[in-house]
Amino acid sequence: MEQFSQQLINALVLGGIYALIAVGYTMVYGIIELINFAHGEIFMLGAYFAFTLVTVFNLPFWLALPISMLLCAGIGMLMDVVAYRPLRNAARLSALITAIGVSIGLQNLARIIWGARQRPFPPESLPTFLRQGIPPTESLPAFSLTETAIALPGGAYLPYRDLFIILLAFVLMIALNRLVSLTKIGKAMRACAQNRVAANLMGINTNRVIVITFAIGSALGAVAGVMVGVREIIEPTMGYYKGVAAFAAAVLGGIGNITGAMLGGLLIGFAEVFGAGYIPYGYGSGYRVAIAYIVMIAVIIIRPSGLFGKSTATRA
Amino acid sequence: MRNWLVGLLIVGLVSVWGCQPASKDQQEPQREVRVAVAGPFTGNAAAFGEMIKRGAELKAKEINEAGGINGMKLTLIPGDDTGTEKEAKAVATRFATDRRILAVVGHFNSACSLAGKPIYADNGIVELSPGSTNVSVCEGSDWTFRNLYRDDFQGEFIAKYIKDYMKKFQTVAILFDNDDYGRGLRDGFSAAAEEIGLEIVASEAYDRDNTDFKAQLTSIKAKNPDLIFISGLYSQAGLIAKQARETGITAQFFGADGVDSPDFLIIAGAAAEGTYLTTPFTFELGGDKAQQVATAFENDYGVLPDTWAALTYDAVGMIAEAIEKTYNKDATLAENRKAIRDHLASLDTPEEGYKGITGLTYFDKNGDTVNKPAYVKIVKGGEFTIAPQQVLD
Repeated sequence: MEQFSQQLINALVLGGIYALIAVGYTMVYGIIELINFAHGEIFMLGAYFAFTLVTVFNLPFWLALPISMLLCAGIGMLMDVVAYRPLRNAARLSALITAIGVSIGLQNLARIIWGARQRPFPPESLPTFLRQGIPPTESLPAFSLTETAIALPGGAYLPYRDLFIILLAFVLMIALNRLVSLTKIGKAMRACAQNRVAANLMGINTNRVIVITFAIGSALGAVAGVMVGVREIIEPTMGYYKGVAAFAAAVLGGIGNITGAMLGGLLIGFAEVFGAGYIPYGYGSGYRVAIAYIVMIAVIIIRPSGLFGKSTATRA
Repeated sequence: MRNWLVGLLIVGLVSVWGCQPASKDQQEPQREVRVAVAGPFTGNAAAFGEMIKRGAELKAKEINEAGGINGMKLTLIPGDDTGTEKEAKAVATRFATDRRILAVVGHFNSACSLAGKPIYADNGIVELSPGSTNVSVCEGSDWTFRNLYRDDFQGEFIAKYIKDYMKKFQTVAILFDNDDYGRGLRDGFSAAAEEIGLEIVASEAYDRDNTDFKAQLTSIKAKNPDLIFISGLYSQAGLIAKQARETGITAQFFGADGVDSPDFLIIAGAAAEGTYLTTPFTFELGGDKAQQVATAFENDYGVLPDTWAALTYDAVGMIAEAIEKTYNKDATLAENRKAIRDHLASLDTPEEGYKGITGLTYFDKNGDTVNKPAYVKIVKGGEFTIAPQQVLD
């Protein structure tokens, strides 16, 4: 029981992170039908920006997070204007290859700026509730993590940081959902997603809508990046690994559908954690990513357009 | 008329530019010898790669300052295998087919050395690894050598060390990297543990690209082991140590040489405290010569060298010595490459062996080094320190 509740927490956090990244893929795809492979790099840059802000500029963490979001939103917008807008009416393959190029370029740029070695956030730069619960060695084996985690009945721990990530992911997802369904820009986004030409004819500035979509997706990606940086580690290749899993989540949910991406993210997180936790003899733990993909493929076989995808022939 | 002139100008420029390198080659024949260094300069073993590169550069600098190899300048050609098999194959092919490269120092990761092995053997060029410990790295190839111990030795050493000197730890969980190094070391350790009666209660794998190990650690916690043996590299080991404590695991950590990087301390932070690990070399017990190299290294790079810098320093030294003794400028590339191999293969007794800062290196018939001991380190006060209990014979 303790093991189960702990795995549940592990899965929720991972799923929440995937959902935040997956939304960035799916929003862009929904509007311009481009798989923006460079989104994983935005996620990585978000982590590095916040890291630089707290370590080099000595900003407090709660200020570094929004600044990093703004910077990533800016980079996302720039990426659209510089790399994708000139190809808006070109063959889709050209835009896709450009996306891969942007991804490789940004990853190597990060390597040049910050180096190839992994960096953790220095614990003292983080607010107490986001720190890793590491007891002093002298207190082992009897120790408690109550300063950094909530002890659940049965011995499982819910670190405040993980609780924060889960809550943040849910709040941002709900906010995004409201934004898209209630506001004017949200309406414009949906119109663009349905038919960009028609939306343009109705007087919607589609280029502006697309840029804003990139900005929102990138800002959410930055949040996920900072959270992964705080929880795990920052490295130039982090965007690739988490990005591919999040992309799988977006496809699983039905690419182009925001609710689908959120649920897809959670599902991939659950598949990974429970696969690794409960399939014995190392088959689960050694192949946890593969298990997540098997779940994705199984869903796609049954529902080719994903959980929430529109099953239209024109979108294939 | 103008087109004709421009055309002539282009032809003229191209021919001048095309001629220059050729004439330069003829003026200064064989003024340098090239040796390649392959390692994970980027990717998630990059901290090792950096040390490997610097260790090699330091040795090359010293050789060149002392007049080079028979008057020829030693030039190192780096090749980044990113710690992955795919890139290692590409790097190996590039080096093996480069007609100016005489020998290769590398690779670091066992999976990379294994991936490069057939390519180097087919093209007849020496691969001297300063870091691969998987049992089968040198097997079945006349061209692959290494200057450190194998994982069957290391795994058995760790199991016995725990049994003999850490008696209060009786149950062990293994967390291994799902690649040639992690699996090979796990096999060596498990076999010895079973033999001497150390109980293994869990064995979980992880993928090197992963940074979240909570799922595996939660399973391990349910088994309540006294000790966790991490059979993998420093970056994942650092995250594992940190995340294990956060999951409420109180077990002792024990790592192997893959954990031996200063970056382990940075990544694991306070969770590194008390971790045991084995390593093929340590500067503290390395003697005066090693201390001089450590000082020179620190002067050049501002940080102290690690084990891998030292082993690479020696590997470059061995290759340089082989070139010095065998190089014939009138011979073909294949003959010179073969002569280096034959020289290394002839170092098969303690008397013949190469005396470097990491001790005496000589090879058995596979090209393995079997005489080097394992040292034990403990993390104390945020630094690696020599464990009070060493088993050196």
